[in-house]
Amino acid sequence: MPNPYIPMLTKIKTVVSENKVNDIKTLELVFKKEEDLKSFDYNPGQFAEISLIGKGECPIGIASSPTEEGSIKFTIKKMGTVTTGFHNVEIGDTVGVRGPLGNGWPIEEMKGKNIVIIGGGFAFSTLRSLVVYFLDERYRNNYKDITVIYGNRDSGEVLYRDILEEWEKRDDINVVLTIDREEEGWTREVGFVAAVVKKVAPSPDNAIAVVCGPPIMIRTAVAELVNLGWKDEQILNSLEMRMKCGVGKCGRCNIGNKFVCIDGPVFSLAELKKIPNEY
Amino acid sequence: MEYKILKKDQIIKLYNDLTKDYNFFAPIKEKRNIVFRKITNPEEIVLDYLNSKVPPKEILFPEKDILFEYKINDNEIELEEPKNLNEQNIIFGIRPCDAHSFVLLVNFFSQGDFKDEIIINRRKNTILIGIGCNTPKSTCFCTSVEGNPFQKDYMDVFLVDLQNEYLVEGISDKGKDLIKKLSWLADAKEMDIEKAQELKKQAEESITTKLDLKDIDKILDPNFDHPIWKEVSETCIGCGTCSFLCPTCTCFDVIDENVPNKNRGRRIRIWDTCQSCLYTLHTSGHNPRNSCIQRVRNRILHKFCYYPENYGMLGCVGCGRCVQLCPVNNDLRTIIEKIKKIEPKREEKVSA
Repeated sequence: MPNPYIPMLTKIKTVVSENKVNDIKTLELVFKKEEDLKSFDYNPGQFAEISLIGKGECPIGIASSPTEEGSIKFTIKKMGTVTTGFHNVEIGDTVGVRGPLGNGWPIEEMKGKNIVIIGGGFAFSTLRSLVVYFLDERYRNNYKDITVIYGNRDSGEVLYRDILEEWEKRDDINVVLTIDREEEGWTREVGFVAAVVKKVAPSPDNAIAVVCGPPIMIRTAVAELVNLGWKDEQILNSLEMRMKCGVGKCGRCNIGNKFVCIDGPVFSLAELKKIPNEY
Repeated sequence: MEYKILKKDQIIKLYNDLTKDYNFFAPIKEKRNIVFRKITNPEEIVLDYLNSKVPPKEILFPEKDILFEYKINDNEIELEEPKNLNEQNIIFGIRPCDAHSFVLLVNFFSQGDFKDEIIINRRKNTILIGIGCNTPKSTCFCTSVEGNPFQKDYMDVFLVDLQNEYLVEGISDKGKDLIKKLSWLADAKEMDIEKAQELKKQAEESITTKLDLKDIDKILDPNFDHPIWKEVSETCIGCGTCSFLCPTCTCFDVIDENVPNKNRGRRIRIWDTCQSCLYTLHTSGHNPRNSCIQRVRNRILHKFCYYPENYGMLGCVGCGRCVQLCPVNNDLRTIIEKIKKIEPKREEKVSA
């Protein structure tokens, strides 16, 4: 078995600045070795440990979908040493990748169900992966109605604008975009995500909801779903924790007897209620 | 079963015979503490010690361990596997609790889809020549955690100090083969074996701490929010000594260490501790275990609740280092006694 701490090497193919403030960028990476590309067989919702050799490593959710073949994408907010390093890279630079890691969204269990995807802020990356996967013509028929509710502080913070506009044009997905306050030229919803959830009122019948975002948004949005009759088993979250190894060894991402890196990051609300509130 | 006798002055001969094929690690005195080191002078070996301050887990899981090395040439990066993983080691003079901890270390690092071959390989390539504890310390409690001062099951070769000589017993196949190679060892007499039995009995009886840890996880699990955690963490200063010097603690941090002014370096792991607030601190500033109460609780629960839940065994070997070396005298044994006294929660009566 190979050393699980040695990354595969990739090169940066494209860099896209995702927001007006320019502190969120999406890097597209291509593997240097064909066999590494093949071994990187992932599901939406999984993550990878990506590194700048000599600077360090950090866990980032995979923003691309496995249906987008040939490259992988990561959306990175400039936060600390390594992520700032990622904001200073150039096309062609080398990036180390270890993964795919974690359980990912349960795309098999979600088959035959109505899907409600609720996201806030830059936590939308693995949701992008999930929606792109669902909308692929090979898989779209496996799932019923798909609703996406995506909220941001202001219009400048909305990620993946091009692809969101494409989704809005389609008739097999309902996309609801919202920002916190009114803005000139903004024609979509205005208000917090929870309020929009209440307004859209997705039915819990034969449905699964995926909720990702800042803690306050998760709490309020989940409360609205519960009001609408949703059960804890139907609501999925993806957790973030400080991680080093990503493979269940370095210890720090434990919540009770679970490790977020290998037992998660995706947990249902029912599962979260069984473990300590240390996340 | 075959027993042999190793005279105390034959340790040098033993070393000379084995050091050709093995890195020979043994307890020596360094800065007034006992430490396990790869030795070059067998006269330095100290066997009449109570226990080392830093556990010999540092041989399998060093405080600083290379995960891989890298060279950066313009934009071409070369990665290299860590070296010396296949070297053969002997740990001479390891105590039963520390040998027990190796079982836990290997168990943990072998779990799941991602095996830590660095540590698994080191263990595979290491022979343990252990020694029983004739005079356990006052802080020892191995007999409460499925251990024993003469626990030999986790050794390859087991020694008992009979005062002028050691009784030698091959435990594993590896250990038995090793003894065959040391053909100059004299045969033991019946009375030597009887003396060893007597010493074992005396040692066991000298351990006065008796903790009942059966089903402790079932007490801990429902009492996550019990006020006891505030009480037992009040004096903790978060120094992390208890976990850094714990033979079963496995947590680590990962950093890139560049060679100054050179285009190369290595990604290393270093021991880390769940007792530090930085351990779980997110870059955003959010910290899931921001308080000392949470961190003390995590350490205890990890060893006595999460570890048994996940792997069916306790995460403690009773070496007593955390008890002996805590700067504020927080005593794990007392904490466990307090936990044991928690009254089971009464079923809430529901009336219509």
